Amino acid sequence: MIGDNPFHRISHLSQERARNRTEDLGDPKYAANLIHTALENGANGFTFSVSETTIAILKELDKLETISNVRLYPVVPYAFEYVRFAAQLGGIPGLVRRFGIDMLKSRRLGAIGYGLKGALTADPVDLMKTYLSYEISRVRSSTNKGRLDSVWLHQLITDMALALNLDWLFKSYFDFLTSRKITPGFNTGNFAFLAEKFDTWNIDLSKVLIAAPFNRVGFQMTPSAADCEKALMKMPKPVVIAISVLAAGFIPPKEAADYLATLPNIKGVALGVSKLKHATETFEIFKKRLDSP
Amino acid sequence: MGTEKLRVAIVGLGKMGLLHTSILNVIPNVQLAAVCEKNSLTRRVFKKILGDVPLLADLDGLSGLDIDSVFITTPTSSHFKVAKQVYESHLARHLFIEKPLTSNYDDSRELCALANRKGGINMVGYLRRFMVTFVKAKELLSEGYIGEPSSFRITAYSSDFVGVSESTEISEARGGVLRDLGSYAIDIALWFFGGFQLRSAENHSLTASGAEDSVLFSVYQEPNSLLGTVSVSWCEEGYRMPEVVLYIEGSKGAIEVSDDRVRLSLSNGNESVWFRHSLNDNVKFWLGAPEYYREDEYFVESARNGSVAEPSFETASNVDLLIDLIKRKLKKD
Repeated sequence: MIGDNPFHRISHLSQERARNRTEDLGDPKYAANLIHTALENGANGFTFSVSETTIAILKELDKLETISNVRLYPVVPYAFEYVRFAAQLGGIPGLVRRFGIDMLKSRRLGAIGYGLKGALTADPVDLMKTYLSYEISRVRSSTNKGRLDSVWLHQLITDMALALNLDWLFKSYFDFLTSRKITPGFNTGNFAFLAEKFDTWNIDLSKVLIAAPFNRVGFQMTPSAADCEKALMKMPKPVVIAISVLAAGFIPPKEAADYLATLPNIKGVALGVSKLKHATETFEIFKKRLDSP
Repeated sequence: MGTEKLRVAIVGLGKMGLLHTSILNVIPNVQLAAVCEKNSLTRRVFKKILGDVPLLADLDGLSGLDIDSVFITTPTSSHFKVAKQVYESHLARHLFIEKPLTSNYDDSRELCALANRKGGINMVGYLRRFMVTFVKAKELLSEGYIGEPSSFRITAYSSDFVGVSESTEISEARGGVLRDLGSYAIDIALWFFGGFQLRSAENHSLTASGAEDSVLFSVYQEPNSLLGTVSVSWCEEGYRMPEVVLYIEGSKGAIEVSDDRVRLSLSNGNESVWFRHSLNDNVKFWLGAPEYYREDEYFVESARNGSVAEPSFETASNVDLLIDLIKRKLKKD
């Protein structure tokens, strides 16, 4: 699948490089064309943080006649935007007030219902359901051609909840999405740790998607490449979407694909591209290499 | 300390408090013993999240909980008051304070004196000292790869207040750009080169009249005539994350280091570049960035072993001294 990092001017190799990209990545039409090209060359889904930028891209994708449907994998919440809001609005209380106002303005009744309950009880599960209902409805109302396959919990939230042993939060997230026929997804920087915890907490690993870094140089593979590969072998079935596979541009696509082809239980790969040429070449390489026996 | 766990309390459950709380909960030999947060809405939301960990409205509640170490992650303006109470009420021996130490040099000196009298380990959270790229650059400089340094330039930029107006209340609560983002740049300059004299300073108010948003200052060091310029702003476009870049010019070459990479350029034309993944950046648990875990683990081990942790209050107070001098100069000019 194609990822949205370049559209948010994110490069994990170099912030400077991301800032200096000359392509018009902030233009939803340009981004929609890139996604279209990737879909024509082997990608079959789009993963993105839910933001004004990506909602505008979804609307542009809808206008392209040659696209009939796209699998969508939104990541929630768009943590960095919220961290920035928190900085400007005075921390968590300011952020909660701002989100409450946005939600009321949106008139999304399901979310408002959970929100009122959450506000009265201050129950994190109700607050989470409020937020998820709001974001799911925001994505669905922006596209006719997109199909919501999975919703991924942002890495920062997943890993914070893992560190704090919030098994009940993971289970509530799992149940809430499963009841809506959406596969619960988790983006993590601690894949081995997550696999072990989910196993202990009896969260069915065959019914989730896990997005985690896998690459030849061990970039962002915590605590080590060997531990992550070992945990991958123990998965009951392919449920892992490999991310950071190019180590943010450090590894050539062919080498990255060769490495992934040696791993078991990889269901897919998420890649960000910023140029039309790369959208064609990169996805072709991965499709060809990972489809071959 | 043997096999006993270090009992830790967090004071202030904002962004940084939550991050430290989570990381400390996965560090072996640490027991999260209490959290203090004065905002009642935040306390209500986090009651279930923290489970059995006591969630207190004020510091007095820490008394009797047998706390070894307190992490202060409240807004800068309250660091001094909270730290003073921890020491004077004997609430804990060891203290970690998120950067900067306090909101002025006088308070920092008083806190240093208090810490010296009380003993225990103390440290300030200047994160870039635990970032593999900056550690590598310091090593290259110390080993003489670029010869004698003649000048340096530091930029510390974020987009936190881009497009924001009339926000002096929030920006002041964060201590102005110098204490917030500039303190990182100043700590790096002091860590790499030692003490300085201030030459010039100018401020540009961008969010509101009189706001400290974008500061440019220069320093020099006798007797080696080292010159440095530092530019700090939280109103720069395109900085999704705050970024600090240091460029050092030496007699045999130059070093450029950012959060992502280190570049060594020698006068003979040779160049080497290191990215994070070639610098052994892995940690046991990754939250936010690897250096957060490294920083907390280092402080915990220092407290358990009774070894000095750097940057200590004493070291970090020098950052507050330079900030006060810059602020005084800005007011005077």
